Amino acid sequence: MAGVSKEGPMPTETDVQVKLAIYREFAETGRAPSCERVAGRAGLSTDRVRDAFQSLRSQRLLVVESDGASIRMAPPFSGVPTDHRVESGGVEYYANCAWDALGILAALKRPGLVRSRCAQSGEPLDLVVGENGPEPSTWLYHCLVPASRWWEDIVFT
Amino acid sequence: MLFFRSEEMAKAWCEARGATIRPLVTMDQLWALSTRWYSTRLDPEGRRPTAEEMPAIFASIGLDDEHWNPKSDRFGP
Repeated sequence: MAGVSKEGPMPTETDVQVKLAIYREFAETGRAPSCERVAGRAGLSTDRVRDAFQSLRSQRLLVVESDGASIRMAPPFSGVPTDHRVESGGVEYYANCAWDALGILAALKRPGLVRSRCAQSGEPLDLVVGENGPEPSTWLYHCLVPASRWWEDIVFT
Repeated sequence: MLFFRSEEMAKAWCEARGATIRPLVTMDQLWALSTRWYSTRLDPEGRRPTAEEMPAIFASIGLDDEHWNPKSDRFGP
């Protein structure tokens, strides 16, 4: 059982193993690993991986579907296709939102291309992001949900 | 959490939904926020910033509006 500190739930060694297995799979392939795949990468049973999924959810590092095994989000990565795509290192990624699109490149520490669109007009956005940030751009980001309510419904947020 | 081509487009999107427009964020601000939030996420010690750490992160890039105050953003079940 994980302890709790002022930083929130304390990750166990198993939590860290499972988290790294998930995030490294996303980074390498752009896609969410299955529960079995995570178990294989981490050298753990699927039961322990499922338990760790719940712990990582409480640390707000993972969102799983109602089956408790399918990964919906490992922020900034999305386990399902979205309108916010990122290309980097020959891999295509899906981001959970506009912020996470840049977040993927920040996490990877690699340059890349963000492909999205204006939510109102549908105008395409192709934003080149170098190692030190995006090219000059007049595009804007808008977050409707206040920060204090993001995780009430993180998929909507 | 969406991209908009201009402030006018963001206003139109909010008006169509009866929603209040929130503070708009530039791409440079969003990159700064992304690096502070996610640059260690692939590391063993990487974690989400805590509610106590968030105000300083937001304020460091000029996001000090109440909208960005995570005061009730606490870890729960």
